[in-house]
Amino acid sequence: MRRRHVERPKNNGLIINSLVDVALSLVIGFMVSMPVFFENGIFVSAPGVAQAGGAVSAGSDIKANIFLANDGRIMLNENSVTEDSLRVLLPRLLDRSVERRVVISNDESVLYDEVIRVMDMAKQVGAYDVAWLRTRKTP
Amino acid sequence: MACVGLILVLVMMMVSPMVISHTTTPVAVPAAHTGQREVQNDISIVLTQTGEYFFNDQPVATIDDIGRLVAAEIAKDPYVLVVIRADKQCYGNQVLDILAAAKRAGAVRIVCATKKLTSGG
Repeated sequence: MRRRHVERPKNNGLIINSLVDVALSLVIGFMVSMPVFFENGIFVSAPGVAQAGGAVSAGSDIKANIFLANDGRIMLNENSVTEDSLRVLLPRLLDRSVERRVVISNDESVLYDEVIRVMDMAKQVGAYDVAWLRTRKTP
Repeated sequence: MACVGLILVLVMMMVSPMVISHTTTPVAVPAAHTGQREVQNDISIVLTQTGEYFFNDQPVATIDDIGRLVAAEIAKDPYVLVVIRADKQCYGNQVLDILAAAKRAGAVRIVCATKKLTSGG
């Protein structure tokens, strides 16, 4: 029996299969990496002036006042705490608070990055509102 | 056809970070796990590491000028979003000065821009 001769099309064009694969990989890589390029933002309540003690306003709600000192100390409601213990204590305080507001203030030479780190932590543990206040030392 | 698609993808990858970023003034904003993203016509105030101010990419000399410019924008739209893009190496109080100026100018929605921190970092 005579085999029928099948003519295969000549491959004289560009092989695009690999290019499609590369493009697809790029798109996937692009989609995965895009969140890195995005800028997000933490909503901050506008500042006021608080006393150095940290009291913001009179009220019955439980306050979470965080003060960042020049020497790296973190004060939670006037008690010195470590960052790890702040992560544990802050949600407990916020659970008992209606507004779930965290008030952050800092010494003069505290870096912005440090403030944002604490704000971020507060948001992570469930703060609804983050206020950043300027402190004024009582004379 | 595939080549065109590939080129388009590459162009999109190069251009999109510029489009997505609030302004073209390069600033190393702090990283954070949390953060909300808002894409809209907003005001961008930049504070560089060297202490220079930019308002919507235009250099501004003083905080008072920023206050005036923000007030002018607030007059057009009272609920305009004010995005503060400050370098992470700036002092907190420098940023607080901008916040205070924006507040005095009547801003009600103020955001500190951050970069998304991946879970590992």
